[in-house]
Formats: sequence, structure tokens, C-alpha cells
Amino acid sequence: MQEQNLETQLTTPADGVPENGASGMATFAPDPGGPLAGAQGSGTMIVFENVTKIYEPNVVALNEVSFVIDKGEFVFVVGASGSGKSTMIRLLLKEMEPNSGRILVGGRDLSRLKGSKVPLLRRNVGCVFQDFKLLPNRTAAENVAYALKVQGESKLSIRRKVPEVLSLVGLSERSESLPDELSGGEQQRVSIARAVVNHPPLLICDEPTGNLDPDTSVGIMQLLYRINRAGTTILMVTHDREMVDKMRRRVIALEDGRLARDERRGGYESE
Amino acid sequence: MRFRLLVSESVRSLLANTSTTVAATMTVLIGMFLLGLFVALGSWMLAFSDNTKDKLLVKVYFCTEVSCKQPASLEQINFVRKQLDADPLVKEVVFVSKKEALDRMRKRTPEIVAGLTSNPLPDAFEVKAVDGANIKQIATNLSSPALPPGVEKVKDGEEVSARVLQAAKIMSTAFGIATVVLLVSSALLIANTIRLSIFSRRREIEVMKLVGATNWFVRGPFMLEGLICGLAGSILAVLLLLIGKELVLPQILGQIDSSSGVQSLAFGLNALIVIGVGLTIGVLGSGLTIRRFLDV
Repeated sequence: MQEQNLETQLTTPADGVPENGASGMATFAPDPGGPLAGAQGSGTMIVFENVTKIYEPNVVALNEVSFVIDKGEFVFVVGASGSGKSTMIRLLLKEMEPNSGRILVGGRDLSRLKGSKVPLLRRNVGCVFQDFKLLPNRTAAENVAYALKVQGESKLSIRRKVPEVLSLVGLSERSESLPDELSGGEQQRVSIARAVVNHPPLLICDEPTGNLDPDTSVGIMQLLYRINRAGTTILMVTHDREMVDKMRRRVIALEDGRLARDERRGGYESE
Repeated sequence: MRFRLLVSESVRSLLANTSTTVAATMTVLIGMFLLGLFVALGSWMLAFSDNTKDKLLVKVYFCTEVSCKQPASLEQINFVRKQLDADPLVKEVVFVSKKEALDRMRKRTPEIVAGLTSNPLPDAFEVKAVDGANIKQIATNLSSPALPPGVEKVKDGEEVSARVLQAAKIMSTAFGIATVVLLVSSALLIANTIRLSIFSRRREIEVMKLVGATNWFVRGPFMLEGLICGLAGSILAVLLLLIGKELVLPQILGQIDSSSGVQSLAFGLNALIVIGVGLTIGVLGSGLTIRRFLDV
């Protein structure tokens, strides 16, 4: 009953989130000409091949972890604190290198990616965090625009894209508000808007609902669901048991750095 | 387009972080003001000691009718000149005739010269040493074993010179050390201020890296801010120094005798040094400091 309920909940927008319709969603499909274009079509988005990461002196964060995530998937990564989830995200953003194993994002081997190309990788991987990571002295619109400015987008295209994405996340009315003046859910919407304004083929979410109350979390999940439906692959680290159980999506569970479980339509805990 | 973005980002964060902007500018201001002061004083000291050395002359007075019955002959004078020219310690020999000597005296003390009926002054050589410390040696070389014929006396300024030279040496060494200490400490102070301001903006840098800003995109605005603070601080320092030079200094020293030859480094040059150092510290300080924050 619950599953059915949520499925309908997730496909219809929450209150206050204007539905852009099919055309609006199409606008936010991943950019087919982007640098991770190799990931388009039926290809794979993320490949972890026997990835091991050891922190000095001998803390094993990830131990021979292997999995493949296809383009367009919605994947939950669950596990206790210290199970290696954050390490996985940092490896995906090439904030550090694995001790052994291979990581491919959009068909590209990260170990072969030159340092100067890392910013290009990050422009094609949207990121959403538990603590939002918004710039406190910039308005919602400026925070979103910032991601575009960094890439040297023209003012004209910034002026076009920012309101578009803000209306996607349902914040057209609050675009001139500073993060302080926004609720937690609204701040997370801004950060999602910032993450997807570049049409990244991959969106990584690190406990996006960790700081939000359950009702607000549902709104955020609906938004992510819609973004996923438009073709963006989503990798979401979460502790939100209820959400995982309701969504019945693929679940990758980590336990002490090992891959404990990888189920197509799993729950938070193995059944 | 790129440049305008860089400038607008810098100005934006300078205005948004007023307190750190002011702190950084003031730090540069203080450091550069002291630097300018030391450069001015130090170069004045050097000029003073050079000037004093120059003034240390060996004077060779020739005989006149009055002093030794018979004035020195041209041959005698030339003989002395040859002897002096042969001395490796001698830098320059200037002949001051009776007439010139009187003219000089007239300039200095006109009332005495006015009462003279004839010129009692002798012809003389003024001998400059290569090194002011050697004047006594020159005088001894010339007057031993005996004064050359036609020479009434040889005078050196030894008494004064040794002390003056020693003082000048100590002072310029002290100034040199003080300037280095000052430069190092103001560089550290400025670097620290910049580090604080960057530290308070780690979050901003983190976000920049996250949305795919290149290292130069992150660094650029910070370095430009450093440049602006450095420029503002050092220009203010130059203004303060100018005020000091034009208003305060004359009050202390009275009328400055600009003909004395003792001059500090030209103000323009000093200002250039101050601004140059201020800019360099600002840009390099922020550029280097931010490096460690770029490894996100």
C-alpha cells in the first residue's frame, strides 16, 4: 500500500512546486553533447572495479569494492557511519585517488584524468550535500548563477538558465532571498538547482535529506525523482530508512568498506 | 569578459568582507610606511656618511710671504702635486688658489673679509682620499721625514673623522639590520592577515572547487584582492610619508639645507619601492597562501 502511495506521490509535484510539464523536464535532461556524452544511450555511468582505499596509517575505508551503475539509474548507497560512503563520493569527484582498482565515470578512467581536467569532471557531476554548501552572502539566484559563471558562461545564457532551473525546483518566488532567509528545504532546492543547472549526466547526493524534516524530505525526493526521470543518473547516499524502503530502487549497501549488498529493488536492510 | 568577471568577483568580496579588507590594507599601510621611513632614513644616513667622508680632506698649505718669508714657487707646488698623484691612497687633488680661498671665506664670513687689506690666505691643495679612513696616512706620507720645501703645514681632520666614520658605520649597519627585520616581520604580518581572510572564506573556496572552478578561477580574485589591498595600503603609506616629508620634517629640522649634498633617496624612487614591495607582498602573499586551500 505504501509503495503504491509513494509512487503516485513522487510522480505528482508537491504543493508549491509548479509542474513544468514534459517540455520543462526535457530542458533539464542531461546535455547530450557534454564531455560525459560517452555515457549516453545504454552505456554505463559509473564503474567501480576492485576499488580499495586505505587511509594512513591502516584504516581501510573501501575494500575491493566493485559495482556498475548504468545511465539513468537511481541508486541508493546505504551503510553505517564509517562504512566508506563518503570515501566513495570523494573518489568519484577525484578529490583523492584509490590505492588500487579502477574507477570510470562516463567511460573515463579517473586515474588517467589529468589534474587540470578535474574541474571539467566536476562540472559534469552535480553535487548535493547535507549541509547545502551555499554561499551565505549570495542570493538563491546568484548561488545558482555562480556555477555557470565558473564555467565562463555568458551573462545572457546565465540570465536565461537561472530562472528556468529555479522554477524547476519551485523557487521562482524566492530567487532574490539569501540562504539565511530560506528554510532548510528551500536551501536544499537551491543547491539542487545549482547542481543541475549545467545539465550534468550524473547527480551525486550526499544525504540530501539528512537535515530536513520528513515532509520536506518527500518534496526533495520528488524533485530528485523528476530529475532522474528526465535522464539524469542519481547516486544518493542516505540514512533515510523510510525513504529507501518506500522507493524500492537499487540499493548498494556498504559495511566496513565492503560491498555487503547490491539489490535491484531493495530496502534499507536486507530481507 | 573573463577579466570583467574577475574584477567584479574581487570587488564584490572586498566589499562583502569589509573588516578583512580594512585589516589587510592597514597592515600593508603600516608595514610600507615603516619601510618607506627606513629607506628614507637609511639612504640619508648613507649619504651623510659619504658626505662626511668627502669632507675629510688633507689640506696642504703652501708658504706665503707672511708665514715663511718666501712664497712657495710653482716648481715646489708641482713637486708636491706629483708626489700626491703618485700616492695610491689619494683620490683627487684640487688646487685652491689664494684668491679662491678668499672668495670662499668671503662667502662664509663676509664681515671678516671686508676688513682685510690684503689676502693673507695661502695657496693650498685639498686632497681627497679614496677611503676617508686613510687621510692620516696620506698626511704622514707627505710630511715625513720632513715637510716638502714650500709647504707650510699639512692638516688632516683625523680627530673628527675617526669618530664620525665609526658612528656612521654603526648607524648604517643598524639601519640595514633594522630594515631587513622590518621587511621580514611586515611580510609575515601581511601573510598572516591574508591567511586569516582566506581561512574565513574556506567555505567559499570549497564551493568554488565543487562547482568545477579551475584553480586559477579560484586564485584569480584572491590575488587581485591582494593586489588591490597592497596597492591601496602602499599608496596610503606614500601619502603619509609625503605629509611627513612636507610638513613634519621641516618643523623638526628647520630649514633643510639642500645644497649640503646630504640627501636621502629621491622621494619618487622611495615611493616606487614602497608601492612595488606592497604590491608584491599583496599578490604573492595571497597567491601562495591560497595554494594550500586548493587541494579540496
